This record gives sequence, C-alpha cells and structure tokens, in this order.
Amino acid sequence: MLSLRLSSSQLSAPVNVTWEITRACNLACRHCLSAALPCAEEELDFDECCALVDELARMQVFQVNFGGGEPFLREDFLDILRYTCSRGLTACVSTNGTVLTEELVRELLRIRPVYLQVSLDGACPETNDAIRGRGTFRRILRGVELLAAYNYPGLSLNLVVTRLNVGEIGHFDRLARRYGAKTRLSRFRPAGKGAEVWEELRLTPAQLRELSSFLGAHPEILTGDSFFALTPAGRRNLGLNMCGAGKMTCAVTPSGDVYPCAFLCAPSFWAGNIRSEPLSSIFRSSPVLERFRRLEVESCQSCDRFSLCHGGCPAVAYFLTDSLDFPDPECLRSAASVEEVL
Amino acid sequence: MGSAGSIETSGLEPASPKESSPGRRVEYVVPEWVRVRQESFGLLFFDVRTTKLTFVRSGDSLAAPPFVGERRVLRVTQTGEEKGEVISRLLDKLVARGLVVVSEAE
Repeated sequence: MLSLRLSSSQLSAPVNVTWEITRACNLACRHCLSAALPCAEEELDFDECCALVDELARMQVFQVNFGGGEPFLREDFLDILRYTCSRGLTACVSTNGTVLTEELVRELLRIRPVYLQVSLDGACPETNDAIRGRGTFRRILRGVELLAAYNYPGLSLNLVVTRLNVGEIGHFDRLARRYGAKTRLSRFRPAGKGAEVWEELRLTPAQLRELSSFLGAHPEILTGDSFFALTPAGRRNLGLNMCGAGKMTCAVTPSGDVYPCAFLCAPSFWAGNIRSEPLSSIFRSSPVLERFRRLEVESCQSCDRFSLCHGGCPAVAYFLTDSLDFPDPECLRSAASVEEVL
Repeated sequence: MGSAGSIETSGLEPASPKESSPGRRVEYVVPEWVRVRQESFGLLFFDVRTTKLTFVRSGDSLAAPPFVGERRVLRVTQTGEEKGEVISRLLDKLVARGLVVVSEAE
C-alpha cells in the first residue's frame, strides 16, 4: 500500500485539522466528546480565528473540520466559514442540525464548498432521543429536510455507533439515502462524557463483528474518521486504518489549545497553544505530536495487519488502559483481550 | 462532537506514456477543485469534490504550483530522457484521475 507507506512519513503539515470552534451547545448528548473539556480559557475571538485560518492556509492544510459544541451557535461562525473558504481551504461542519434555517442553508450554499455532517444517533426517535435528548430526532430531521429541499451537496448523516443503535444501521442508511445524504458511521470512544457511559453504550464483541461485517458489505458508507480500526479487508482502501493523530491531523480547541486529535484532549497530550506559538511550529516540533508519529504498539507487531493499523486508535487504548502502548481494545483480532481489559 | 469528514487515500506510481502533439507545448494545469502541496516524497493531492488524497512519489521531479490561484501549472524540475518518460507516465495518471488537466500552448 503505497499511500500507507507514504502517509507514515512525516508530512509538512496536517491534511486536516479538527477545530472545536465553540463549547456552546443547545443539546446535552450523553456521549459528547467535548462537554467534559476544561473551559477555563476564553474562546478565540474573530481576529484570532482569522489569523488561525491564515496560518492553516500558509501551511497548506487541505481541510478544516469544524465542530464544537454546536458551531452555528457562534455568532460569527458564518464569517469564519466564509473566510476559511476564501483562503482555499475546504470546510466541513459537524452540526446537530437543530439550528438550521432556510436563510442559513441558502447562505451555506453561497459559501460553498462546505461539507455538512449532521449528527443523528438512531433511525427512530426512541433510539436517538435516548442519547441526544427528548424531541431531538424530530428537530434534527427538520434540519435535514431543509437541506434536502435545497439538494444540499456534500451532506452526510453521522451516527456514533453504540449498543443502542447498532441494530438499526441498515435502517439508518436507508433514511440517509432518502434525504440524498451519505451515511457516516463513527466509533464510540470512551473520551469526554463518553467515558461515563462507556460500559452502558460500548459495543459487545459480537456487535463489533456485526458492524465490521456490515461495513465490509457496504464500502460506500463512510466511517466517521479516517482511522477506523475495525475495518475488514474489503474496506482497506476506504480509509487509512491507521491513527493519523499528530501525523495527518491535529485538533484545536475553542481556546486555541492543540492536541494530537479531538479524542485525545487530555492534559498529558497538550501540544501547545496557538496564542503563544504558531500552529506550524507546534505541529513541526511538539514532543507530544512527535511521540504519536513514532507510536507503534509493540505487542501488535507480529500481526499481519500491523502495517495497516499500527495498533488502532490510541485514544481508545489510552482511556481504557492508561497506556498508549496497548493494542486497540476493540480490535477484532484480539477479541479475547477485550474481555480481559474491560 | 467535533470530528468531521473522512479523507480517503491512494497512491500513484508510473504507468504508460502519452504522446503530445508535435510542435505544441503541453502544460499540466491543476484544476480549481484540486489542491496540491510538496512533500518529502513528492506531491500530495487533495480532490475537493471527493476529499480523496493521492500520494505521488515524484521526489523532486515535479514542483507544486501555489496552493490557490488562477492558473496553477505543475512544473517539471528534472529532465533527461529516462526520467522524462517516467514523469510523463506519472502525469498521464494524474490526468486520468482528474488531478491535473492538459493544456496545450504554442
């Protein structure tokens, strides 16, 4: 795999940057990654955001993945989005869909290209609302219907796969198609508030196998990130299957802190802050990011898929074992170790 | 939750050569829907329409144009008969993938 070999080399800049643009949110999802983040510092103001966009453009980062919180709750977000696209960067916004209006959709269509990823955690109200809150299924779908009415290009519906909804991913996929959207499945990770409900919502080994099989049979379905570690052979070309933290990507928090990825925003993985050091410099020389570039889980090295995954998602391993040097506990090839670890 | 957007990847190595029209200068232009940047191994392409990455092991034989701009032309920085043929094949593959378009000039 030429691309995998080359992506393992040190890149001059991230391919994409996840930017949690605000902590403000109108929902309280049970598995929220960001809600448990510390929020002592002030969020970057508009000028600081534009300066970061300029830096991302100088670094020639291809894509900015805006998340939160709910990005559209930030008053100047459209201006930030407009500025991002004007600098040649591709924008992708992760939204809960509940604040979309006709006026907003029309404006997004003018800014293009802006990929939109609407989070929905079930194919029916009962399942989704058990995670994202009562009444949210209908509110989210109202937003999706609005986007569909405008034939919004680059729309995907994102489902964080949990024990509650894994049985309805086929139905979910049909729902997404009905609205002209792609289906994106994301891993549930024990990070943020997800740690509190991990035991309740994590997939069983049998469900992991079921999900893996489903993904293998549906190569058109996107996975929530490029580094999905559960992919069977048939999906090898769809993603890196390897953690890109610190290599292909990094994450910036609302106050400008930089981490290897959005799932690793813990104090021990703090790589710097863009208020005191340019992102290019942090990316190039942070010891934390360098550590992730060299990360190869030793105990996985005899596995024949090692060259494809290098041990899977270190965030899952870290939050479950307190160690980065541990195989992804949800790796299907070490299903036995799942029971041992958990 | 913040993380959004999948990026697919693939790699590219040389294939069969393409003949250009005699007497005309062929330029390889990066279309507006593509971004490309220089890396230690060569070039890294990003197709905005598909968010797909393509790694091109071209070493320092091809130079990336500016990240954005009106007319972005890939520059061949190393020539020589053997090397030229290899690069020509590589460019043809990039054309086939829609990552560059051929533009002929007098």
